[in-house]
Amino acid sequence: MSEFFLELFSEEIPSKLQVNARKRLLEKLKNFFQENEISIKGNLNVFSTPNRLIVYIDKITKKISKKSQEIRGPNINASDKALEGFVRSNNTTKSKVFKKKTNKGEFYFFKIPSQKINTSDLLKENIPNILSKISWNKSMKWNDYNLYWGRPLKSILCVFDGKKLDFNFYHLKSSNTTFIDKETEEKTKSFSNFKSYNSYFKSLGILIDQEKRKSFISNELIKLSNKKKLKVKLKKEILEEVTNIVEKPKILLCEFDEKYLIIPREILIITMQNHQKYFPTFDKKENLTNNFFVVADTIDPKGFVKLGNERVVEARLSDAEFFWKRNKSQNLVKQVSKLKNINYFKGLGSYFDKVQRIRKLCGLISDEMLISKEKIEIASSICKVDLMSDLVGEFPELQGILGGYFAEAQGFDKEISNAVSEHYFPIGMDSITPKKPYSVALSISDKLDSLVGFFGIKLKPTSSKDPYALRRMAISLVRLIIENNKSFKLRDLINYSCMLYKEQGTEFDTKLLQKDLSEFILERLKNYLKEKQIRNDIIESSTNISNIDEILKVFKKSLALNKNIKKDFGQDVISIYKRSSNILFSEKQNSPDIIGSADPGLFKNDFEKNLYKRIHDIRKYFSSIGKSENYEESLKELSLAKNEVNEFFDNVVVNDVDPVIKKNRLELLKMLCKSFENYFNFSKIEA
Amino acid sequence: MVSKKKKSNKEPLTFQETILALQKYWSKQGCVILQPYDLEVGAGTFHPATTLRSLGAKPWKTAYVQPSRRPTDGRYADNPNRLQHYYQFQVLIKPSPSNIKKLFLNSISAIGINYNEHDIRFIEDDWESPTLGAAGLGWEVWCNGMEITQFTYFQQMAGIECKPISVEITYGLERLCMFIQNKKNVFDLIWNNDGISYKDVFYQSEKEFSAYNFEYANTDNLFKIFDMIEQEAKSLIEKKISLPAYDQCLKASHIFNILDARGVISVAQRAEYISKIRELTKAIGKLWLESQN
Repeated sequence: MSEFFLELFSEEIPSKLQVNARKRLLEKLKNFFQENEISIKGNLNVFSTPNRLIVYIDKITKKISKKSQEIRGPNINASDKALEGFVRSNNTTKSKVFKKKTNKGEFYFFKIPSQKINTSDLLKENIPNILSKISWNKSMKWNDYNLYWGRPLKSILCVFDGKKLDFNFYHLKSSNTTFIDKETEEKTKSFSNFKSYNSYFKSLGILIDQEKRKSFISNELIKLSNKKKLKVKLKKEILEEVTNIVEKPKILLCEFDEKYLIIPREILIITMQNHQKYFPTFDKKENLTNNFFVVADTIDPKGFVKLGNERVVEARLSDAEFFWKRNKSQNLVKQVSKLKNINYFKGLGSYFDKVQRIRKLCGLISDEMLISKEKIEIASSICKVDLMSDLVGEFPELQGILGGYFAEAQGFDKEISNAVSEHYFPIGMDSITPKKPYSVALSISDKLDSLVGFFGIKLKPTSSKDPYALRRMAISLVRLIIENNKSFKLRDLINYSCMLYKEQGTEFDTKLLQKDLSEFILERLKNYLKEKQIRNDIIESSTNISNIDEILKVFKKSLALNKNIKKDFGQDVISIYKRSSNILFSEKQNSPDIIGSADPGLFKNDFEKNLYKRIHDIRKYFSSIGKSENYEESLKELSLAKNEVNEFFDNVVVNDVDPVIKKNRLELLKMLCKSFENYFNFSKIEA
Repeated sequence: MVSKKKKSNKEPLTFQETILALQKYWSKQGCVILQPYDLEVGAGTFHPATTLRSLGAKPWKTAYVQPSRRPTDGRYADNPNRLQHYYQFQVLIKPSPSNIKKLFLNSISAIGINYNEHDIRFIEDDWESPTLGAAGLGWEVWCNGMEITQFTYFQQMAGIECKPISVEITYGLERLCMFIQNKKNVFDLIWNNDGISYKDVFYQSEKEFSAYNFEYANTDNLFKIFDMIEQEAKSLIEKKISLPAYDQCLKASHIFNILDARGVISVAQRAEYISKIRELTKAIGKLWLESQN
């Protein structure tokens, strides 16, 4: 067994590209080893630092044996040229080619003898090919070379069994040396194995293995913050990125002037975390503190690095403070009319127009939600004003949230400032969903207004493109309804919204819009159910509705059935329904006009009477529960029909000789199915 | 910050000394030292010595200061970090040399930043200019968390694939000097050793131009001027004179920026204006390239 070790040295490769390159390189190598039956003991490791992409395999077979193989050439009647070509392409002579009959005719053959191949030769030959197959998400050229790489590739070190493997890759030639100073690329050093390479860099404080680097960083962060009685939040993506942009991490505890803590915390966090890649800290009560951690890529004996980073934060925060002080005192209400100057979308008016529509939609919703009409109208009026502030210009991801802070600073009711703050949420599938009634009302109105508008001007998403994020908006709408356990009369709201557009001079085809938008929202509902791990057959059956006011019901029914379908009563419901509906289905052609009304006067026995009574009980159940339906209870109620149904099928022949009796029995089964369909149509559910 | 021990008897470089030191350094590397282009531009990249010279096969090395105007960034001299007019120091080398990182690090040593004592990082920052039809890959260079330089390998310019590739280094001179001189406010920068500060030179200008850009620029006229300039550019393109046509492009671009600062360009219009300028740039890039053969 031998060692294989490859290092690709380049200028600094960005974090995401490193992650991708590691993944792709691993895949390509695995495929190559598999195809060539090269066996590996131990791990196939791929490491990276900003400048180095490394492959290391500690045990790889030295030689591989290839079995002998007969290769078929041209037909013996083919031209001489074909034969010559065959001989040439197999690197052999005419004398070694033989004729052989097959069931397709007689052909020339060549036999490759079994052979032992040096793995090193195979690697040498194939590595350039493997490297050029790495597909970068983003790549570049430099100088006058033709190679595309994540950033300029400078050297290739390749060692097998302690000896260098020679090959060419574009303008580069492999060797057993690499640059040891990433800054100026002046010093090189040769390595004959990974161990010496790894320990050499370790002695410089450089951790080659990204996993070791990551755990070093997170351990240090936790250790240092515990020492200071602080808390850090190790967000996965930030930790990953920070790990990939350093090679010798050094954690520095820094601080900024406490006076900046008056700035909204989201601004402080984004500034530190997203812009500067720092780790903010929190105290026991989850309040942000003025301490933060910097993961530097160098030691800091003179304290320049700490001081410098602190100054950067101070400069950024003093900028933010300047804007915060200015913006929070700019009267929100007085600015509303300025929204006339900002176009919302061509054909959908200005933001002022949008706000007027949202205000009226909120008015309508407020009746249903039993919230103050006056307050929700104020919240609607001011909810977009922050778009004109300097701070949202600087931190566009904080739109809404900053408006909430401005409203709070200007003394608006907490309910109003919360509603402004949360009205963009939820954003798609993953973010939090507002739960406070004013926030919910504003969020729903804003989203519905946008959906109606874009569908109205025929800019609904295509299968591949959704430039205005309407899918996300509709998913958010579905989440607002379901996760607040609150039904909304969406159809009425859509009609009203269309009317509001009309009042502003834009008329839509309301009927068509209702249809298109309903279908669109139902599709998103299906996605939502899928995300919640609901079975596909249940999703297809439950969403087969035309009224989108019932989104919440659909969700609850799906959830209840999904949860209980494997239980006895769940199975009973399905089998009762299917047994009955299958008979109806097979009789459909002979008896097309079954409508579901049996005549008790035609019953011949108690089995029919008992089933009839049971159906009545079910109907009564559904008409009495109304809105307070407990869906698990409903399923149990349906399953109670099991005895009557079984007795009926065991003792009664539906296919009676008397066509009147037969029809009446079919009617009875239809009645049963219909009563079950108060829940939904179970015919497509698989038992 | 400058190393205090090594240079204890030496004051940090003034603003003008920084410029002189960079010019001297890049001059030694064989760069043609040019003077600023004499039209309003948004960045050093717009200087024809970068845009046009980055096209085609002829090798080219240049360095120059370029006053850059960003009307929307004006803050009436109220903000310690924002200016509507500031200086960039621009270096362009074609083809990109393989020791460019070393050349860059030595250049910051030349202005008093010992890179071994600081945390110098190359952080992903790819660049795109819709008006120039240009794109490149590279980094922003951080010194202790502060962005001091943009570093870009041009891949495309004026809609044309670059071959060979140029590398562009752009220093934000005010930022860099604030770092060297340890200043929190740009207006406190020491311009020379005779007691002149940045404020003495630019305070009034920042105030007045902010007012012009945000309040007083006559937008009706500017819209008309834009159209006139666009016509002029088109007619020059037809006559196949690339450099004067490119000047018109720069003028149009600046007028667009003022209109943008005045807040009179809607989202839809914005895209339209940008595409107008880009189409001109593309035609000019093609012309210029043809003229090089």
